[in-house]
Amino acid sequence: MASNKEVHASSIGEAFEMFFKNIKNYFADFGKALSKGDIAVKLSTVLMGAGYFARKKFIVGLLTMLMEAAFIFMCIFYAAPNLAKFGTLGDTVRSTQFDPLTMQNTVIEGDNSFLILLNSVIVLFLFVVFILLWIHNIKRAYELQQDYEKGVHINTFVEDVKSLFNGRFNVTLLALPTVGIVLMNIIPILILIAVAFTNYDQQHMPPSALFTWVGLANFKNIINLSSGSSAFGYAFFKVLGWTLVWAFFSTFTCFLGGIVMAKLITYRKVKFPKFWRTLFVVTIAVPQFVTLLLVRYFFGDTGIVNSFCASIGITDFLKSIGLVASHLSYIPFLTHPGWAKFMIIMINIWVGVPYQMLIATGVLLNIPESQIESAKLDGANTWQIFWHITMPYVLFVEGPTLITDFVRNINNFNVIYLLTQDTFVTTNQTLANANAKEVDLLVTWLFRLTNDYYNYKMASVIGIIVFVICAVFSLIAFSRFLANGREESYQ
Amino acid sequence: MKMRKFVALAAVASMLIGSLAGCSGATDESAANGGAVGDDAIQNLIAATDGTVSLTVWASEEDQAYTQGLINDFIAAYPDVTFDIQLGSESESTCKDTVLTDIEAAADVFAFADDQIQALVDAGALQPVSAYYTYDVVAENSAGAVEAASVDGQLYAYPMTADNGYFMFYDSSIYTEEDVQSLDSMIAAAEASGTKIGMDLSSGWYLYSFFAGAGLTLTLNEDGTTNTCTFNAEGGTDVAQAIIDYFGTGVLVNMTDDEQATAIANGEISACVNGTWRAETAQEAWGDNYAAAKLPTYNLAGTQTQMSSFSGCKLVGVNAYSDQIGWAMLLAEYLTNEQAQIGRFNERGLGPSNIAAAASPEVQANPAIAALAAQADYATPQRVGGNYWAPAQTLGEILASGNPDNVDLQTLLDTAVEGIEAPVV
Amino acid sequence: MENAIKRNDNFYLKEEKLRSKKKTELVSTVVINVLIAIFALIWIIPIVWLLVTAFSKYTGIDTMHFFPAQGWTLNNFKVVLFEPDSVCQYVAWFKNTFVIAIFSCLISTTFVLMVSYAFSCMRFKGRQTMMKFSIILNMFPGVLSMIAVYFVMKQLGLTNSHVGMVIVYSAGSGLGYLICKGFMDTIPTTIREAARLDGASEAQIFFKIILPLSKPIIVYTVISAFLAPWADFVFAKLMLNSGISSDWTVAIGLYNMLGKDLKSHYFSIFCAGGLLISIPISVLFLLMQKYYVEGVTGGASKG
Repeated sequence: MASNKEVHASSIGEAFEMFFKNIKNYFADFGKALSKGDIAVKLSTVLMGAGYFARKKFIVGLLTMLMEAAFIFMCIFYAAPNLAKFGTLGDTVRSTQFDPLTMQNTVIEGDNSFLILLNSVIVLFLFVVFILLWIHNIKRAYELQQDYEKGVHINTFVEDVKSLFNGRFNVTLLALPTVGIVLMNIIPILILIAVAFTNYDQQHMPPSALFTWVGLANFKNIINLSSGSSAFGYAFFKVLGWTLVWAFFSTFTCFLGGIVMAKLITYRKVKFPKFWRTLFVVTIAVPQFVTLLLVRYFFGDTGIVNSFCASIGITDFLKSIGLVASHLSYIPFLTHPGWAKFMIIMINIWVGVPYQMLIATGVLLNIPESQIESAKLDGANTWQIFWHITMPYVLFVEGPTLITDFVRNINNFNVIYLLTQDTFVTTNQTLANANAKEVDLLVTWLFRLTNDYYNYKMASVIGIIVFVICAVFSLIAFSRFLANGREESYQ
Repeated sequence: MKMRKFVALAAVASMLIGSLAGCSGATDESAANGGAVGDDAIQNLIAATDGTVSLTVWASEEDQAYTQGLINDFIAAYPDVTFDIQLGSESESTCKDTVLTDIEAAADVFAFADDQIQALVDAGALQPVSAYYTYDVVAENSAGAVEAASVDGQLYAYPMTADNGYFMFYDSSIYTEEDVQSLDSMIAAAEASGTKIGMDLSSGWYLYSFFAGAGLTLTLNEDGTTNTCTFNAEGGTDVAQAIIDYFGTGVLVNMTDDEQATAIANGEISACVNGTWRAETAQEAWGDNYAAAKLPTYNLAGTQTQMSSFSGCKLVGVNAYSDQIGWAMLLAEYLTNEQAQIGRFNERGLGPSNIAAAASPEVQANPAIAALAAQADYATPQRVGGNYWAPAQTLGEILASGNPDNVDLQTLLDTAVEGIEAPVV
Repeated sequence: MENAIKRNDNFYLKEEKLRSKKKTELVSTVVINVLIAIFALIWIIPIVWLLVTAFSKYTGIDTMHFFPAQGWTLNNFKVVLFEPDSVCQYVAWFKNTFVIAIFSCLISTTFVLMVSYAFSCMRFKGRQTMMKFSIILNMFPGVLSMIAVYFVMKQLGLTNSHVGMVIVYSAGSGLGYLICKGFMDTIPTTIREAARLDGASEAQIFFKIILPLSKPIIVYTVISAFLAPWADFVFAKLMLNSGISSDWTVAIGLYNMLGKDLKSHYFSIFCAGGLLISIPISVLFLLMQKYYVEGVTGGASKG
């Protein structure tokens, strides 16, 4: 059936072209099946599985029919009541009447906008799945008709099941993981997108209050740069800026740090390389939230590092060169925007370099010895070898990981949250008005908006933007690294 | 058990029921005004209950053992009913966050600090206390506590403690009672001893004391979410300047609550503006010299001005979505009645909101609680919209660090007030 | 080590004129070793602080002394292991996390292997699209859709349950196939083709040929999936919201100890608890670091 050939798109443009061509073919096939199909195929549009029955595939036909029945059942009892309210997201507010004599509430149940939204998203998703299955059922019926007319052998049920472990093993393999992904990733993301178009916030919070659709109002709010009452636009661009700066520096400092450290440890003059490596690896093993919280207190305003710096005069020295404001009696490691950003990147080096070192060690071991030897014979010095042979090789191998790390860092919740939550206070009033801080990444800002301020609508808008940014980065990266037949070349 | 105390009350209540029953339309009104309905209703409830009554209670981590004891007593008090009461731990200061994330999943009965009551009521999470059964919540608790537990005149929760405000802790070997009357004399004494005074100014909660002391106001609007704030009105810049000057001395220092805890222990600070939860730390460090007083006066453009504060209570609320409203209400009453409050003071040193409990000589002798009582005259209950905290925190941070960017003080206050008064987007 | 020295010796035997250089050689050896020792010190200091604080008599955060000034004690470990109170239910947390980790690790590993095989060893319509789509989805951080996940799980009645936690940690794991697929890509196609000629079905190839050859990557996947629940506190805190502390996982429990009201009493206990989970994780990690490197650098190092 399906052709096993794959065409590789070499650019994003071509990928899109191919994508649309595939869609066109998909519907063209469907049209052909509808127009050229016999009665069984046409009957399949109403009574799914009819095409299977016509070709004596009773079990598959029955299963398909049962599925259709289940779908209709779902429509009546689950989809209809939810979709009916999808337009308004509910109109009845819960009300209760307390009776002091029986000590009971008489409750008039209200609508829960969020549940209506959630269920509707699930229903709409099921609709799409059902339509795809419906189309598949018709196409398949037509294929069977063609096979029958040509006298090709039609698989029995047992053969069908067997093929699920052979030719169509991928279906078996992907089924469960896909269900999981739909449940954990796709449905929540769809809900997140939907919430961005509503006024779901602390004033409109289910179950006691309703929220409803507001169109693009939230998006306008975020690109609205005039400070005024809404500081979201201002805060958004500030936070976005720092997010990108952070992602860049954190990724590259760790990457370079990892290589340098790996080089250092494997350097021939270093004694006990195994011991040093183990030491660094141990720091990975302590869970991040433990070390980061610990380090936060370590560098606190009255923390131990500050006591130490004050006692040996570092604090005064920094004051005298203007790096620490004169009125402070401590170094504001994690409480002054500039210092905090610097420290966060430094601490992230602490966290990230051992990982990168491990990987880099592995990569460096595999550098073709011959290249280095010949470069040496050509008179290249250590630095030249490092920049012209080692680095390009490492970049080639680690390229995809690097991009993944970059996107991961855009969303590096743990480091920022654990280091600055509860301790960093912004002195930028406009940022404060939007509940943001200088050191916030988009994710941590979003987390605070939902967790402390219940501002789900703005959080969703930010979430969508984060998603778009990440998707663009990873698409570019992977159409470079993956689609270009990279995977095939090693097989 | 303790219900005996309320026999008389119950008698009154049953008469009340009689009058109520006749005219059902009036029921909610008189009940809403806080009528006490007695044993009959409880008997009704017991009769109407079959099967196990499952309840979840949230109390703070420190309060677990004591609360568990009360729950056991409560279960024993109703031998005819089968209970399954789970006790969970949820900090009173962050209870709102967990409750609001999913009200339906929250505990049936939970303890929280009174600053969260507005948000909880707005979210419909609290069952109004429109009737009480085992004691008169309004009459037996101090007026301040009842006010703290009410929104728009409707009682929404049961006062549990009345000690959630702040005042001044000090080491009496360094400060005399005279000294602690004014911030200036305190600073002089602290300087003489080489120690410091701690205060968490990077928090709208404490920052309020200076501004409100000067007569500037912060009030919650009728919509229940936005604020009206006059910190930037006339005199505001004087307050700001006073704060800058005080923190500029380096003797009054801006440190968070837990930094203060450490600083008390290692002798860095000899006084701090803080609340009863630090009493234990201070007592351990200062021993017999441990003392507490109302907040001092401060020098506002030449006049000594009394610092104000937020008063605070811890409350017990009943989840409006509870399946067992009746039992939840009875349990909430049980956790907050006079006996429970006396016990809570004895075991945990928490100041009672119950008038009778607070009048006991032991309570009166407690320095922290006496200081709170003295401060009560200058304290206001905390009714603040959510947009106050972040801008105020920032304002406090800027002032405590001496206005490093040298922003014009009026502009600084105007920006802060703009944020504080901003509508919730 | 040995090899390195030998190699160096050979190298230098070839170039004889190096007598005078020996001195500078010695200096640079010392310098570089000191340098690495300094780095190691920087990296190990917080860990040492964790270690010594775990044995400290003072329960709060000591900001003046690195080493416990009030003396040493084993009491923190005693509290953690044998004296559960309402705040510290370490043993219960450890059990919960362990069970959750075992199951979510089983499911995750199965899913990852299934997806990897399908994407690496089979060719079917829509494969490229699906791969790209999953890569994008995998980039999407869970924090963003946390609330939606919570309510989906609530609809299924799985909040406040460890089954729910297992699902949260493992259901989406199929998206993390990239490293495992990279490894399978390096297994020569010829092996599979030969098996196919012998009449083996895809399922047989998967179970009998590819899985045994993928041992390193399976070890890697198993261990990294096993470790995830030990480090997550955001989802766990949201999902296990009944307030019953004995239902928590280690991460929420420890995180909770540093709450505003608690940390002056529980900081050293937090350190003890943190240290105790670090030990098994360290061991696991040291065991798997070889596979970790092999996994991440996957195909390329062999290419």
